[in-house]
Amino acid sequence: MSVGELAAELVLMPLVAFVAGMAMVLMMRKIGARIQRRIGPPLLQPLYDILKLYGKQTQISHGLIHEIGVIMAVGGYVAAETLLPVPGMSGLADKGGAITLAYMMMIPSLGLALGVGQCANPNGSIGISRALTAMAAYDIPFIIVIFGAAYVYGTTNLADIIAIQQQQGVPGWGIARMPLLAIAGLIAMQGMMGKHPFEIYVAPHEIATGPMVEMGGKFLGGLFVMQCFQIYTIGVLYSTLFLGGGANWLTFLPKIFAVVAIPMTIAFVFPRYRTEDVLRLMWKWPVVIGLMGLAVVMK
Amino acid sequence: MSTLDQIPVRHEARAAEPQPRGRNPFANVFDELMNFARSRSMFMLHYCTGCGAIELPPAMTSRFDMERLGIQPMVTPRQADILLITGYVSIKTLKRVILTYEQMPSPKYVIGICSCTVNGGMYWQSYATAKVLRDYMPVDMYIAGCMPRPEAVITGLRQLMDDIKSGRADAWKKYYQQYDHYLGNQQKLFGDHWQTPTDIIAEAKHYQLITEQTLGKHTALLEQHQKPLEPLEMRLKHKDHVLP
Repeated sequence: MSVGELAAELVLMPLVAFVAGMAMVLMMRKIGARIQRRIGPPLLQPLYDILKLYGKQTQISHGLIHEIGVIMAVGGYVAAETLLPVPGMSGLADKGGAITLAYMMMIPSLGLALGVGQCANPNGSIGISRALTAMAAYDIPFIIVIFGAAYVYGTTNLADIIAIQQQQGVPGWGIARMPLLAIAGLIAMQGMMGKHPFEIYVAPHEIATGPMVEMGGKFLGGLFVMQCFQIYTIGVLYSTLFLGGGANWLTFLPKIFAVVAIPMTIAFVFPRYRTEDVLRLMWKWPVVIGLMGLAVVMK
Repeated sequence: MSTLDQIPVRHEARAAEPQPRGRNPFANVFDELMNFARSRSMFMLHYCTGCGAIELPPAMTSRFDMERLGIQPMVTPRQADILLITGYVSIKTLKRVILTYEQMPSPKYVIGICSCTVNGGMYWQSYATAKVLRDYMPVDMYIAGCMPRPEAVITGLRQLMDDIKSGRADAWKKYYQQYDHYLGNQQKLFGDHWQTPTDIIAEAKHYQLITEQTLGKHTALLEQHQKPLEPLEMRLKHKDHVLP
């Protein structure tokens, strides 16, 4: 691969991720609306929101770290997109692999923690401590799932994982070879999305959206962009590990949208757990299911 | 507000000139795009003070569904675009409303719902109620009624959308341009030592919205006793607090 091609892919992959992520945000809001028997937002609503937020005339900054924090939150996911192979583009996927990706997906939470710390709003601090607690909760089942997948496929290289699954067809997909790990991954994914019933750190009625409490204008816009990336990254990672990635965009897009639709549908019919309940649930069910799945695949 | 013709009605706002267009065509297109995005994405902060709040849940939920117009509730003033005052504003509440309003990032819009925000409504004779909301902050849109039905609320929001799209809804600039007038009314209610954490005069300078009506005798009074804001002391336990 030439340098030019690589550079083009590094620009294109986050762009594609952003557009698909906005469509996913729209789908999420539409699902919520349909469950509540509403019509829901129009087609370009996520774009209007982001444009409007960046076009605000007042941009209240709480200092340099506040701005760097938001940049880290978006940048962590932009870096993660270049490690995620999509049909036709593999970017840095050969160099990185699933473990680098897992690290990259932690950067946004840490960036937010930095940025929110400077806002000096108690709701923000509570929110970020809950966000990091949630990360500790869902990362253990997530790492178990990554470990199991790496054991089954014999590699952590995501491009190779997709190639192996596509060679063997549907019986070779991760969901057929390690169903227990797929279930554990689904629960961990629900936690990663930060949606109900694991929405402990946003909690609008309790701590006024937690980390976002002092974010307005372009800072909130940055977090909206981050949300698009976040949902997309989780959906693509899950379909890469368990659903055989995609040979082309026509098979790939339905897979990632279907994967994202499952936690969204669950989210809008559940209330929110307390923080300690999230920890208890995450360290009990997905971890036990994941460990059983590991035992099955290792025998 | 003793006679009917003093009640603020909509055609006053309609008469306001739209923003003058600049010479750069690209900047004009960009401004129009931004105004369109602003009109289609309104995050609202509903300050539910009175009975009008009852009409908002049906307007938001399945029967009337505000979200199809891009309107969704937000929970902090930093994220919000429109401030809905849904009912009577007591003097104590008005302080909080003004603090909230000043923390919102501009362009920001205020909607007064119910008769109480127009002229005090049924609280006209109450000693503790601030009668006319627009004496204390610029109001973009009144939705009168006691209480207005959700249809009326949504019609009002649609009219605000039209005003934003055409650039007419710039009442937030009036707060900077005529700060002395608004501050004077606030001082009349809250006393001479009234001070908010937001430095409006500095913001007016920043936006270049300072006029001869921004500064006056009321802002001079404010500057006499204005204390710079200090960060709150961070501590785990109050020093006088004794654990049982």
